[in-house]
Amino acid sequence: MTSAELTLDRTRGNPLPGDFAIWIFIFAELGVFGLLFIAYAFTRAGDVELFNASQSLLDRRSGAVNTLALITSSYFVVRAVAAIKRDRAAVCSRWLIAALGMGTVFIVVKSAEFYAKFSEGVGLDTNTFYMFYLSLTFFHYMHVWMGMVILAVVAWKAAQGHYHAGAHTGVETGASYWHMVDLVWLILFPLVYVIR
Amino acid sequence: MNTTTHYPAAATRIWLVLVVLTMLTWAVGESHLGGPAIVALVLATAFVKGQLVIEAFMGLRQVRAVWRIIMFAYLLLVCALIGLGYAVGLQ
Repeated sequence: MTSAELTLDRTRGNPLPGDFAIWIFIFAELGVFGLLFIAYAFTRAGDVELFNASQSLLDRRSGAVNTLALITSSYFVVRAVAAIKRDRAAVCSRWLIAALGMGTVFIVVKSAEFYAKFSEGVGLDTNTFYMFYLSLTFFHYMHVWMGMVILAVVAWKAAQGHYHAGAHTGVETGASYWHMVDLVWLILFPLVYVIR
Repeated sequence: MNTTTHYPAAATRIWLVLVVLTMLTWAVGESHLGGPAIVALVLATAFVKGQLVIEAFMGLRQVRAVWRIIMFAYLLLVCALIGLGYAVGLQ
């Protein structure tokens, strides 16, 4: 095999979708969330009763509805990427706005959940479970806000005609970040709300 | 484009699978079910959902193997260590 063939072989397959810089960010975020999840799991092992008792007071329906909201918004973002690859910028923008609508559902539901917990007097110092619950979900909540700002900018630029089939890296960059936010929640929900 | 998952029908099917798996996890939570077998099922479900998002939604099915392996390994490691933490708590 010649060196040219080796080079070809190594570059088989596409690069990561979107700007590579966003992937550095995505890998860093996934690393931090992964460590927090593992820290939760092992801290729980030290006080299973407390974690189970506190977990049973969570609003599982909110958690599940929010999982459905993020999954659906991720799906809408896939449709937006598919649209721009077919040169349909207006359609792409509309799918992104639909995804933002689902993101808004998440924010409203999660804000109500935080409000309910704070009204009950729950705080970071209530117990170890709530310290993790509030930190993990609030950290993720901030990422949803961040992702929505990115999606809004991409939707606006798509509507302005900044992207087309030959130049849609920006759409894929925003999409990749948003899928990461969804992916993290897909682990967070069973870990904090369900596993007992 | 050779990207099958970017065709709407395939993405819609995957979305439906994700919805069904989420309902399953929710049902487990509402039933207050627990124990090693249930937790293994819930974690396996989370792993499958994560892989579907990574491969089909993020579109990593089409990218270089190294990135797919990194994401696969990450998800597997996190789910496995959560399972290990749970198992330690059973002692």
